Amino acid sequence: MPFGRALSGTAGQALFRLAGTLLLALIAGLIFGHLGGILIAVLSVYLALQVLNLLRLDRWLRLRRTELPPDINGPWGEVVATVNRIYRRKQFHKARVVRLLREFRRLTAAMPDGAVLLGPNNEIIWFNRHAASWLGLRRKLDFGIRIENLVRDPQFIQYLKDQGSRSSVTIHKPAKGDRWLELHLVTTSASEQKLVIVRDVTREIRVESIRRDFVANASHEIRSPLTVIAGYLDALVEEPQLDALWREPILEMRRQADRMRGIINDLLELSRLEASGTAPSDQSVDVGGMLALLRRDLESQEQRPRRIELKLESTAHLRGSESELHSIFSNLVSNAAKYTPVEGEVEIRWWVDAAGGHVAVRDSGIGIAVEHIPRLTERFYRVDPGRSRKIGGSGLGLAIVKHALQRHDGTLAVESVEGRGSVFTCHFPPERVIHI
Amino acid sequence: MEKSDLSHHILSRYNEDLERVRTNVLQMGGLVEEQLKQAVEALVQGDSRIGDLVAHNDHKVNAMEVAIDDDCSRILATRSPAASDLRLIVAVIKTITDLERIGDEAEKIGYIGSRLATMERPADRYREIKHLGRLVAEMVHGALDAFARLDAEAALGIAKKDRLVDEEFDAIQRQCITFMMEDPRTIRRALDVLWVARALERIGDHAKNICEYVIYMVYGKDVRHVALEDVEKHLQQRSGRAPDAAQGG
Repeated sequence: MPFGRALSGTAGQALFRLAGTLLLALIAGLIFGHLGGILIAVLSVYLALQVLNLLRLDRWLRLRRTELPPDINGPWGEVVATVNRIYRRKQFHKARVVRLLREFRRLTAAMPDGAVLLGPNNEIIWFNRHAASWLGLRRKLDFGIRIENLVRDPQFIQYLKDQGSRSSVTIHKPAKGDRWLELHLVTTSASEQKLVIVRDVTREIRVESIRRDFVANASHEIRSPLTVIAGYLDALVEEPQLDALWREPILEMRRQADRMRGIINDLLELSRLEASGTAPSDQSVDVGGMLALLRRDLESQEQRPRRIELKLESTAHLRGSESELHSIFSNLVSNAAKYTPVEGEVEIRWWVDAAGGHVAVRDSGIGIAVEHIPRLTERFYRVDPGRSRKIGGSGLGLAIVKHALQRHDGTLAVESVEGRGSVFTCHFPPERVIHI
Repeated sequence: MEKSDLSHHILSRYNEDLERVRTNVLQMGGLVEEQLKQAVEALVQGDSRIGDLVAHNDHKVNAMEVAIDDDCSRILATRSPAASDLRLIVAVIKTITDLERIGDEAEKIGYIGSRLATMERPADRYREIKHLGRLVAEMVHGALDAFARLDAEAALGIAKKDRLVDEEFDAIQRQCITFMMEDPRTIRRALDVLWVARALERIGDHAKNICEYVIYMVYGKDVRHVALEDVEKHLQQRSGRAPDAAQGG
């Protein structure tokens, strides 16, 4: 540090004062002849003053929380002022951090979701109140314990291992209020810490299950009276004494009863697919054989497109449930046939590549406008209500396809050009393909 | 310098090994808990599909037991653990045997559940079994929590619950006998229900055993076949001294 700057301000003044005092002492010593004695006396007084100031500073530093800074002149005053400034600033920052922390805590406690912060080895670093009560964690005691040791649900552990390949996982906690919790893992590429967001989805799950039960029960209840009605209608159609005037209405009634039965069967099938969340049984299903059978069924119908082509490019089988795969393919094939005029064609193709197995059903039918494609798999969604009713069908076919495909880890892709035809493609992952 | 680095490396690997074994045991416990929950659900809901699933999944529990056993013998052979580490390994070896037995009992319940699903359900819809099942599931859950937290006091509390389970089992037994005397046609079903209750009661015993291993692991004191009151007194005496808990990692 340059000397000039060190000598600035009060330090310079103090030095001048010291030099002045010494000069006066020197002059007084020379006048009175006791140079040594007076010098020693003056220096002693000066030193005593310095030590006193030092002691006052020390005392204040120790009691700085309660006492005001001492009023000292000179360089000691400067030191007191500087220390006081640093101390004040620190106090101010500390208060701000504490306030922020307190606000943060209040905020996280008020958060409707639970949050657990995890370290690199999934050890618990911090969690908020909701997470504690929902997951049964205990404050302080459980810090540092790996989360999979305390939240032991196999699905959650698998989800943690896969590092969020799915978006979230739902687990059931029968203890303490029978809750359903949705856990969502948030990872950032920047830090090794992870955040688990916990949501209480008990209400949603209950509502969903009530809805599912309602649909299933209602369908069941409607089916029994409908069977009776359809039975009498069948008998009436066969009745030779029936008035000719009534024949046509009764035939129409029977057709509509059949359609209703179809809708109810599809509803039941859909609710069954939804209710059983587990993976379907692991049969080895011969896709080629199944598609060939579907083609033969279609060819035996009166109203059908003239050309139905089958391209089997693989002999591989698929792992899954035979009945569900059948309902996927038959829904797609019958849809294609329904919306394709007699002079059009339908092509069914099965092939396997590195990305997995694929079944595509292409038709040269009326096609679907782009804006309808994302909504096709919704229940009872109709592109053109008038036309669809005439053609028939339950309006649930593609919803069933979607759910059954999901249960086989598959996806449905739809490409279509209005007026020229559509392609519905089912993609199955490679793990599901069994090479023969 | 190199040497200290090396020893540090071995130590951390050792710690990792111990921690992994502990985590695996608790994972196995999680699987067993799930099996137990589903087995009771299969019976109460009368869903043969869930019952079959439980019976089918038991091999996963068995496979985990074998894998953890292997890990433990490898650690014993290569690290020669001492003191708290040794207690951890011994407790783990014992715990997984009990967990595997719980898995077997759950399999049995699932099997009986899927068989009973075809029969008419009783008027009370197996309310007693559901209650006992919940009690036992809480015991298993608490025992595994105590294992994870090395919490001997909690373990003792859970072990005491075994009496409740025994009482509940007695009640179900009496109820079944009454049913059988009233209507001999229900004997087959009542016997099956009794088997389920018996299996649940056994699971309670296994959970109690796990609690005892936790106490052993924390205090190094074998509390099997000792009255729980004596154990409690002993723990209170010791609580003045800090437990030399094996923290693992």
